[in-house]
Amino acid sequence: MLKAKNKLGIVFFPAFDWAISPTHPEREERLLYTQDQLNEEGIFDIDGIVEYKPDVATVEDIDRTHFCFPDVDHVTTESHLISAGGAIKSAKLVLDGEMDRSFALVRPPGHHAMKVVHGARGFCNINIEAVMIEYIREHYNVKKIAVVDTDCHHGDGTQDIYWHDPDVLYISMHQDGRTLYPGSGFMQETGGPNALGKTINIPLPPTTGDEGFNYVIDNVVMPILKDFNADIVINSAGQDNHYSDPITNMNFSAQGYARLNDHLNPDIAVLEGGYSIKGALPYINLGIVLAMAGVDYSYVREPDYKYKDLKQDPRITKYLKKMSEQVLRIYFKDSKDDTGKLMPGNYDVRKKEIYYDTDGIRESQIESIMVCEDCRGVLKIETMSSVNPLCLGVEIPINACERCISEGYRILNDGIEKERFTHVQLIDRVKKKYQRY
Amino acid sequence: MLLGVDVGGTHTDAVVIGDGGVLAFAKVVTRHDHLLSSVHEAIEKVIENISPEEISRVNLSTTLTTNAIIENKIEDVCVIVSAGPGIDPGYYTMGKHFYNVDGEIDHRGSEIVLIDVKEVERVVKKSHKDGVRVFAAVTKFCTRNPLHENIIKDRIADQADFVTMGHLLSGQLNFPRRIATAYFNSAVWRLYNDFADAIKSSIESHGITGDIHVLKADGGTIPMEYSRKTPVESILSGPAASVMGIVGLCNISGDSIILDIGGTSTDIAVFADGAPLVEREGIELNANPTLVRALKTSSIGIGGDSAIHLQDNRISVGPSRLGPAMADGGSIPTLIDALNYTGHSSYGDIDKSRAGIESMQAKSSMDAKTIARSAIDYSVTMIYNEVQRIVESINQRPVYTIHELLSGKKVEPGHLYIMGGPANAMESLLSEKFNMQTEVPEHFRVANAIGAALARTTVEIELFADTEHCKLVIPNINVMKKISIDYTLDRAKQDAIEMLRDHLHTIGINEDENDVEILDSSSFNMVRGFETTGQNIRVRCQVKPGVMHRYRDILKQC
Repeated sequence: MLKAKNKLGIVFFPAFDWAISPTHPEREERLLYTQDQLNEEGIFDIDGIVEYKPDVATVEDIDRTHFCFPDVDHVTTESHLISAGGAIKSAKLVLDGEMDRSFALVRPPGHHAMKVVHGARGFCNINIEAVMIEYIREHYNVKKIAVVDTDCHHGDGTQDIYWHDPDVLYISMHQDGRTLYPGSGFMQETGGPNALGKTINIPLPPTTGDEGFNYVIDNVVMPILKDFNADIVINSAGQDNHYSDPITNMNFSAQGYARLNDHLNPDIAVLEGGYSIKGALPYINLGIVLAMAGVDYSYVREPDYKYKDLKQDPRITKYLKKMSEQVLRIYFKDSKDDTGKLMPGNYDVRKKEIYYDTDGIRESQIESIMVCEDCRGVLKIETMSSVNPLCLGVEIPINACERCISEGYRILNDGIEKERFTHVQLIDRVKKKYQRY
Repeated sequence: MLLGVDVGGTHTDAVVIGDGGVLAFAKVVTRHDHLLSSVHEAIEKVIENISPEEISRVNLSTTLTTNAIIENKIEDVCVIVSAGPGIDPGYYTMGKHFYNVDGEIDHRGSEIVLIDVKEVERVVKKSHKDGVRVFAAVTKFCTRNPLHENIIKDRIADQADFVTMGHLLSGQLNFPRRIATAYFNSAVWRLYNDFADAIKSSIESHGITGDIHVLKADGGTIPMEYSRKTPVESILSGPAASVMGIVGLCNISGDSIILDIGGTSTDIAVFADGAPLVEREGIELNANPTLVRALKTSSIGIGGDSAIHLQDNRISVGPSRLGPAMADGGSIPTLIDALNYTGHSSYGDIDKSRAGIESMQAKSSMDAKTIARSAIDYSVTMIYNEVQRIVESINQRPVYTIHELLSGKKVEPGHLYIMGGPANAMESLLSEKFNMQTEVPEHFRVANAIGAALARTTVEIELFADTEHCKLVIPNINVMKKISIDYTLDRAKQDAIEMLRDHLHTIGINEDENDVEILDSSSFNMVRGFETTGQNIRVRCQVKPGVMHRYRDILKQC
């Protein structure tokens, strides 16, 4: 009988009774064939691979992570709490030592959900990885976390949430934003003043294949991960880089995905996008599961796989080499340069216009972060959208310094007193206080 | 009248049940080298005062196939598989004649690569030359499309005495289990058929003309004639016999636990809403998971004859058995001796039990009473913990819809049924530990044979329909038919029930008491681009394990 080298927990929750709409890519059928393939392969009979049921995330788990306006109930359904709960369960399996690795094969996805949530964008309401990461930091003694997002779309939500967080390294490799939703994720996006270089974007040209993905993993992602030295590595395992995906333009294969996971060796993987549900997902998921468990995956391929059709154009190979050098320079050199950084004690301000394509909502926000040398800095977000009047979010980060704590409460009380805001939400990670006013 | 025979590890038990309840029972020693004679003898004894022509049905539970597989006394099988992409099928090699040929069918049942007929023919020829006469054909996703298995069988033709085809074993997806199950099925085919011939003439020689059925691990039966093609279904039926016995003897309603405390182990079964739970996938045999349906049972190494150990001044019991209890003339004190010492039982030679427990004082700072009490507490706690673990694992089993996750039923046992040798002695102890109502049925000593006698036919089928391909398959009862594009889930449910009923008639089950139930059903919109192209429909339905209605109320004693 086959035996897994790494004990792998799989939290499988296909939400067979939930869809955004009947013909939407994010529909009931999405993980049906993946389940068929895993069952037919006898995956759960492999010694060391165990299937688990998801937890259900609580409102507090969401409130710890997001500013949801008007509140969590209005922007989530049960499906989102279960999918986030699936990610939490997979984290617990690893951190409690029950399993060596885990894979949350859950839906709906989350990586386009930003710090502030007014509704759904890019099929996502809440950011399931972020909810999981904040759960981990609240309940376990884990400081440094790295997220490697291999979804074809730039994970602008995860980037937004960790933009100012020096303890969470966010690396995204995705199809170049000039050619695909959401149109962001350029190399120059490298993180806020307190977390410069802790956001790394690797935009890949359309038709990048197995060769390119694996080149970038081995030559860019791995050296950066090694330097960052994370306690936990998470793969945001989107599967829409696949050559058969209907909404993207890449040439990645199931073998490529398996090898990527083999090399990356993440502690936890969380499913994100991927909508070639018959021709790709069953084989990619099988490949990822086997690679994570340390079981031979060499016979995994798609029924219609033809290497010569997918061979990478040499011009892309050349382009990737050059780009890789640039990314490495950004991480190892440019981000250490703090010319132009404001003096500590000042607010660094960003104005953002955000469009929620799934729900058709427009949001305007002003985000202010305290430039701080003693902590991650207090965060203040003023936001209004086509569904909510002006709202305020104040976050006092984990291990906040005295100044940022008192500054946080000053902004909060000021916001409440002036009655300018319809909804006010506080995230106080020091006192573990999550409140609305 | 019903005749039930259960061939167990030590004894072969037989009972006759009629309108007056248990009319006769007999117990003979099992002769492993000659099971037939044990069965013959047990029947002879049990019908001494019964007119054989009144027996309408004989149900037999036997260890024949189980033992043959465990002891590896099985025939060589040529296994021909074709797999397509996935895990290398080489990891699932069974036997010395295992061949993987090209050919590929995907999860929707579409043929991707033709089966390599030339290679099949070559392999068949070679195996025939090697003297192999039984074959197994197993292809990945054959339950969605059995085409390649049928082609392999055609090519084997008269070169084999028997061919097992994977899709006829179960509708369930699980290629490695299917390979193992098909292999075992062919490996015991000849042995089983010879045994069936012999049993048939033995039973007829007693003047019994009733139908003969064989017990399965899921607590149901199949007609022996029909089981000749699927002998693997007769493996590991022993624990199921006892569980079904309890169903016959007690009015089980709600969620309950059944404990069968034997000499070396305690078997645990779980009931939900009065029905025994069936293992989700299938039973494991010789470390090989199979697709053979089985009741969810678990075994723990604590029984009446389990030895009491003393180490570092701590008492433990089992899992080893180092001979019988001292009350039975053994040399090492066991759980039964402890129960005798504390007065919970008075079995066999109580003085020897007392002496045995007292002799342990020398190596310990505990007095004899504490030693006996600790041994009992240890045993009760071990059983309790194992029950907790099983119930927890049942409640943690994955579900796939939001509805089931948020409002799914939890198993919360409120009743404990105990049988086996030390049942009476341990009842009050277990009742206290579990904080549940307990019952010990009166005829528990022959519950296994009663269970065998009363068990009724079970069948499970899985219907798979794809309205885009206009295809419907129910693999294990060999149904394949065309459907129209407007075929619906409701139609599928009706068809599943109807075809299961038809199947029961075909195999000679004509009682109209077969409760057919839908286990689960689903229908998925299949979408290409933004167009719905069809429905992907699945329906699982079964005749659930249970006892024959007519006799259900006769025996209730609890």
